[in-house]
Formats: sequence, C-alpha cells, structure tokens
Amino acid sequence: MSPAAPIEPTKKTLPESSSSGDLSPERTGLENHRRFGDLRGVQWRIDLGILPPSSSSVDEFRRVIANSRRRYAALRRRLLINPHISKDESNFRDHVMDNPLSQNPDSMWGRFFHKAELEKMVDQDLSRLYPEHGSYFQTPGCQGVLRRILLLWCIRHPNYGYRQGMHELLAPLLYVLQADLSRLSQVRKQYQDYFTDNFDGLSFTESDFEKTDDITTQNNQSKLNNFHSLDPKIQTIISFSDAYGAEGELGIILSEKFIEHDAYSIFDALMNGDKGAVAMANFFSHSQTGIPPVIEASSQLYHLLSIVDLSLYTHLVELGVEPQYFALRWLRVLFGREFALEDLLVIWDEIFSLDNARLTPSSESESELNSGVLKSTRGAFISALAVSMILYLRSSLLATENATSCLQRLLNFPEDVNVGKLVKKAKSLMNVAIDAINSVHGGGARFKRSKSRSHSLPSDPGAAPPGSPGVPESYWEEKWRVLLKEEEEQKQANLHKHVRNRIKGWSERVKMRLSRTESARLLSKVSQIKTGPTQSQPQLQSPVTVTKAMAMDESHEAASVFSDAVSHIDMEVSSVASNSSVNEVASPLPVSDPPEEIFNKEGQSDNSPKLGENFRERRVLSGKFPWSWMFARNGNEGSSSTSEPVFEFDHSKNGMAIPSSSSSSSSSSSCTTSKPEVVEQSLKNLARSMIENIEVIESVFQQEKDQNDPIENFVGRGQFKAMGALKELRKISDILSQM
Amino acid sequence: MAAYRADDDYDYLFKLVLIGDSGVGKSNLLSRFAKNEFNLESKSTIGVEFATRSIRVDDKIVKAQIWDTAGQERYRAITSAYYRGAVGALLVYDTSRHVTFENVERWLKELRAHTDSNIVIMLVGNKADLRHLRAVPTEEAKAFAEKENTYFMETSALEALNVETAFTEVLTQIHHVVSRKALDAGDDPLGLPKGQTINVGSKDDVSAVKKVGCCSA
Repeated sequence: MSPAAPIEPTKKTLPESSSSGDLSPERTGLENHRRFGDLRGVQWRIDLGILPPSSSSVDEFRRVIANSRRRYAALRRRLLINPHISKDESNFRDHVMDNPLSQNPDSMWGRFFHKAELEKMVDQDLSRLYPEHGSYFQTPGCQGVLRRILLLWCIRHPNYGYRQGMHELLAPLLYVLQADLSRLSQVRKQYQDYFTDNFDGLSFTESDFEKTDDITTQNNQSKLNNFHSLDPKIQTIISFSDAYGAEGELGIILSEKFIEHDAYSIFDALMNGDKGAVAMANFFSHSQTGIPPVIEASSQLYHLLSIVDLSLYTHLVELGVEPQYFALRWLRVLFGREFALEDLLVIWDEIFSLDNARLTPSSESESELNSGVLKSTRGAFISALAVSMILYLRSSLLATENATSCLQRLLNFPEDVNVGKLVKKAKSLMNVAIDAINSVHGGGARFKRSKSRSHSLPSDPGAAPPGSPGVPESYWEEKWRVLLKEEEEQKQANLHKHVRNRIKGWSERVKMRLSRTESARLLSKVSQIKTGPTQSQPQLQSPVTVTKAMAMDESHEAASVFSDAVSHIDMEVSSVASNSSVNEVASPLPVSDPPEEIFNKEGQSDNSPKLGENFRERRVLSGKFPWSWMFARNGNEGSSSTSEPVFEFDHSKNGMAIPSSSSSSSSSSSCTTSKPEVVEQSLKNLARSMIENIEVIESVFQQEKDQNDPIENFVGRGQFKAMGALKELRKISDILSQM
Repeated sequence: MAAYRADDDYDYLFKLVLIGDSGVGKSNLLSRFAKNEFNLESKSTIGVEFATRSIRVDDKIVKAQIWDTAGQERYRAITSAYYRGAVGALLVYDTSRHVTFENVERWLKELRAHTDSNIVIMLVGNKADLRHLRAVPTEEAKAFAEKENTYFMETSALEALNVETAFTEVLTQIHHVVSRKALDAGDDPLGLPKGQTINVGSKDDVSAVKKVGCCSA
C-alpha cells in the first residue's frame, strides 16, 4: 500500500469499536491491567512474541519493529515481482527458463501465474470479508493490504497455500493496528504540543503560525516539565511516535506507513505459533498420515466437555453431533465467526495473553506428528472457551433431539452473549482443561507402555521403556497411524481421541491376557478372584463381587473361544469398534424412561432444577463412565460374549463408582501370578490407572461443586456415597502402588 | 417416541449436499430454499453449514437435511463425513464464470468416489440472472448433464428462479429411487428403503440399540 492509500479512519466507520477505550470493564466484565492494554496492536505483538517483553525499553521495541519491517519489505520485493517490470532490473536473467511459456513452476513467470491463480482465490474471499464493516474492509486500500499479506504468506508457505478462513484471521489484526493509529491521532489532537517535533515538521510549522512566538516558547519550556506528569499511557504513545528515536522513521511504532508490514508480522506469528503449541496454520492443514490437527483439536474439546458436563456430552454424542462440524469453524478463524468483531477482540486479548509454550516438553511423544495442537495454556483456554460456549447453549441443546438443530444452534451462536461471562466461565475451566489436555496425552503414553509390555514382556518391573527391544517404537507409531487413517476413511462416528486411547488400552489388556495365558489357567483364576488371593481383593469385592466374578467368568470364556485368532485381529477390532461405539453409547442409558423424555421435551433445565436434578442424577450416574461403554461396545464388535461381562460390571459401577479400568486390570493381574515381577509391574500399572481414573472422577465432582448453576450444584446423597467410595478406592490404589 | 415425532413429523429424512466452486452461490441457494432469504453480502462458508426444510413429495413428508460446505477444493478435512449418507447432491456452478463449470467434472468425480451409486445428482447453473455476463451456454451444460447422466437446471438464488423446483425435483427423484428400491428389493434387508437407513434423527435407531442393551443386561 502506498502511504497515501485511503484507509478511512476507524472511528468513523466503526463507531462501536473504534478504540479500545470503548471496551470498558463494565461492558466486558474484564479488566486489562497490562501496560499496553489500550494499544492492542502493541500488546498482541508482545504476547505473540514479535516484540520483546513489555518491560523492555522503547528503543528496543523500535529496533525489533524496524527489523521486522525490513524483513517484510525484502520479502515483498522478492516474492511479489512483476515479471514485466523486473525485466530491466536484472541483467542476468535466464531467458530459457524465464519466459511466459515456461512450464517450470520455479521460473519467474511460473511464479507469476501461480500468484495470479492464488490472487483470484484470495479475492474471492476478500470481496466477501466482513460485509457489516464493509466501509473499512471493502475499501480498495484495505483490500490491497490484505491481499498482499495473504499472497505473501501463502507463497512463503506453499505447503499450506491459501485456505478459506485465513482472510478472517488476518482482518482483525489489521483492524487492531488501525485502531491503535486512531488512538494515536486522538492523543495527537489532545496533546498536540508534545508532538511538535514531528519528523516532517509540518505540525510544528502550523502551530508556529497559529500562535504567537511567546506562547510557543512558553509551551516548549513547559513541555519538558509536563511530559513526565502525563498519564504513562499517553507518554508511551508519544514516545512511540518519536521520529528521531532509534531507527528513525522506520522505528515509529504506531505508523500508518508500515501498517501492512506490521499486520504481516502479527499474522505470521499467529499462524506459526511462535514455536508454541497453538499454531493457527495447523488448523488449516490436513496431514496425509494421521488425522488432521483440527479434527484432533475438535475431539479434545469434546473430551473436555465429557469431563465437565457428561450429560450434555452424552446427549450430543448420542445424536451424532460430531465436534468437528462446528469446531472446524470455531478453531480455524479462532471464534471470529461466532462473535461480533468488538467482542472477538476481547476474546483474542485473553487468548493471546496466555502462554503458548508446550506443556511438559514431551520427549518421546514428539514423534507423533500432530499430537498436542492445543497443548499449551493458550490451547487449554481455547478449548475451555469452546466448552463454555457449548455450555452456554446447554439447555437448548439438551432440549433438541435432532443433530441438525443442535449444529444449527452451535453454528449460530447468539449475538447478545456477554463475552465477559463467557471468558470467566472459560477461566474457571482452565485447570480442568489443562488436566484434560495432559490426560489425553497421558492416555497415549499409557497405551504405548502396555503395547510394548504385551509384546516383549520386559522383565524389569520399574521401567516403562519407551521402546522395548525388538519392537521399535516407530513400528507402533506407524501402525497406529495407519489405523487412524483407516478409521478416518471409514469412520462412522465420533473421532474422540481419548476414547480411542481407552478402547485401545482395553483391547491391549485383552490382548495381554490372551497372549499370555491359556484359557484353562484363566478359568482357574476366576476362582482365585472369588476367594480373594491378593491383598486388594477383599476390599474391592464388597457389594460388587458377584457380578464382577460373573463378569470375569464370562470374559474368560470368551477369551478361550477366540484366544488363538484374536491376537492378530484385535487391532482391527478396536478400530471398528471405535467407529461404531459412539453411536451406540446410548444402550445402557434409560432412554425410554418417561420422566427423562419429559425433561428433554419440556425441561429447560435452568428453570426446573428439581426435575433437572433427578434427570441429571440418573444421567450422570448412568453416564459417568462412557469409556466403559466403549469397552462394552468394543467387545460387542469383536465377539458378542465379551461385551456382556464388562457391561455387567458397568452396572455395578453405576452404584459404586469404581473406575472402569479396574475390572480388566484386576483380571490381568490375577492372570500373571506365576511371574512375580510382571505381577509387580502390572499391579503398579493397575494402581496408576486407578489413580488416574479416580482423579478424573474427582475432578468431575469438584467441577460440579464449583458450579453456581443450581443444577450443576447437585450435591446429593448419591454423590456423598460416591465420594466415600472414591476415598476407599484411593486408599486401595495407594496400597497397590506401594506394593 | 410419539412426543418427539409431534413437532418434527416427517416420513423421510434425506441428506443433500451442496458442492461446487467457491463463490458460485451455494449458501444463497440454500438460504433461499430453507428460509426464502437472499443476502448479497454473504460471507464465504467456513467448514460446514446446515439447514433443513420439509416439503411434501407424493403425499409423503420429506425432510431435507442440507449440508453446505466451503467451496475451496483443498479444504477437505471433513470430506468423508460430509458425503457420508448423502442421497442427493446439487452440483453448482456459476453461469457467469466458465471456470466454475470446467471444475464440475472434478467435483463429480469426488462426489461419485464418496457416495452411493444411487445418489441423485443435479447440475445447477446458478446466477442465471446475470444474463449479460453469461459465460456458460445452457446447451453446453445440458449436454454435459446428459453425458454424465445427471439432472440439470439453471437457477437464480437472487431472483428465486427455479430454486424451489431444483430442490423439489431432487427430493422427488430420491423418493422415487427409495420407493423403487423398496419394491425391487422385496424382503431383502439390504435393499430396504433408504429413507430408513438415513433417518438420522429418528428414534428408531436408539430403540434398536436399546433392545440390544436390554438383552445383555
């Protein structure tokens, strides 16, 4: 853009949102204490790692900013070449390669045509960008800036290219820079005298003419004295505009001339994520090998939802509302379509203010290509915000018995929403969200452990070797990836990563049992369980013993039936199972119970707490352990007989709140008594997985306690009982882990 | 179960997909059909959008569940989910931009690769109101549709020209396919009316699952 390009002042075109001053704490319910809170463009650049921390000196800022502008200028010169013009400039051009008929995509003309193609695509979207703010975004100047930035970024990142949505990720950035400029001109008007040493000296001359010499001199004298008594924020703005500072004009921080350069740097940082977990570009890519990151992130949202509000989660899954159908848009434009622009800026303030460094720098798991797209505090907040948005629609979603209507609601988020409340809610979910993101990963790690164990049976009990000898880790990575791909192709239902891991884990345990033991021995172990051979058994047994024993019995029978065949096919089984399992989750639910139907139809849950409590109690109890249903379904797919025992066990759990993994692992521990070290190892694993499960349940309870909503605030006798049972379980697992 | 049916009563639920290049007017076709709205300043679609509308076809109530997706070709993170279960498709091009018509072949290929062979496809030339800008002659498109064995219609979402007809025609044809299949198939469970297998919102599925649950409990 030439400096004179007509960008209209934001204040006129966008009265509601012109400067950040309008977004008062009262309006948003949020307070911004940060140093550059009133200069979003600056604050965001600090948050996104473009500018040094806000404690740095203004000169430091100016140096960094000048460098980034130089980089952009060089990039623009290099990539946006016009072959017609540059003919004269370069004397050493290869005319064999560089002619308009050249097929070589790397030739100057090849790039030119590629650019033309790209430009058409970009323009197709830019012409439809923010029509409600068309008087700003649809001006030729603004469109030109946006087009060049997008073209450059896409040419620079050919593996992404241009994808729809990128333009809406960029537009608010430019807008924010523009808002900073209008803030500057506001301050300039008010404190004109402090700006008199303007680079071009124009304003100085003008004021010279207007005022008598005496007054000017007086002003100049008092200026230095007064400057330090000004509001620090005003001081900052003034010092940002000093054309004689470091790097001269190129270092003027709020500069209309370089708005394009600055917008590019923010866009680039946002897309690349500054080496952190959340890199927006990820949400636009579709990897050939595994599931696309945006799908992975979508299922993480559902995972968090399942922890926070299981009944809603179950409801959505039951209806077949897959998260990516709405989360794709939420994530790709970072909620840009769901909120009005001025609200969006508040949300982005929050998102960017959070750290994007990867949580627990994972060593071994780094090989997993797409793992952890939300694995940072910032990512956790994004998923927490998404979940709080879903929760905001809770009652209307629960009242809907139709997937399309649910999706329509989720994709037409109400405009009058109080963003402050939404953000607060999201913040209250942060801890759970971080745990959830870590636990998704932990699930993967656990899965890997059991994998290597079941195949090579390492004898050292304490270790959980990342890659056991003989079976290279990459082999399983590969196999896992292939499975994922198959699943992606033929998937019938939710791509819930966590669920997959759990299912996987279960099938692995089955596999362990099957590969290690003869069916005869298995059957003999059943009696051992009944008599309680290990220390933990008596406690575990209490009211559940009978069903559990029955369960074991049947599962072992099943095991004996297909123990030979299964060891190689169970991988497929699990993938098939996860395809269908989510749809069938409904089975243990009392779907046909009349009160629940009534509730679904009439109960706008917020208004009918009594009814809601009942409903919720039942829903929660029966729905507390979705993964165990997955197990049940899983078995159902593989062999109808295996599903039953686990299913039985589920029922017992509904009353007792015993974590799901205990059933399968207790049996596996009993199977291996002949190998003491392995027993020790598996007991440890058992304890670990018990603790993990207990933590999940505890966090759910904790969450419910924390809720203010009358329905959420359900503390019934059932819950006390369940809490008691939980404490018991904790003791048991502590003992186990010490053994 | 009756309670659910009451406010959402239909005999068949058909999933339709809208495909075609970016900017040919898919979203406006949809909003014209579903809400009788047209927006000159509509934004580009990101991901998927949904709408439903019930119409009467041969004294049956047919509910169309229409999926509208972003037109950009490489935008394919959810391709398979998008096509899954679709029984009808409107393949849209822009009569004023020939390139969008040239791409129809690729769309058709992708569509056929992901859907049942019985899917009802209609080629739709939208923006017929831009008469002075016409770049794709009707004959050319008609010939192509005949060759590819698809239905064909020119529409204008802006002028509400043929939009209703196009959707109704597709839904009617689907209904015919379904009825014919039911007749042909007889007792063959695999050939049961498609309407049942694609009854996404129906409670029948749940009750079927529930039975399994009861037996094993």
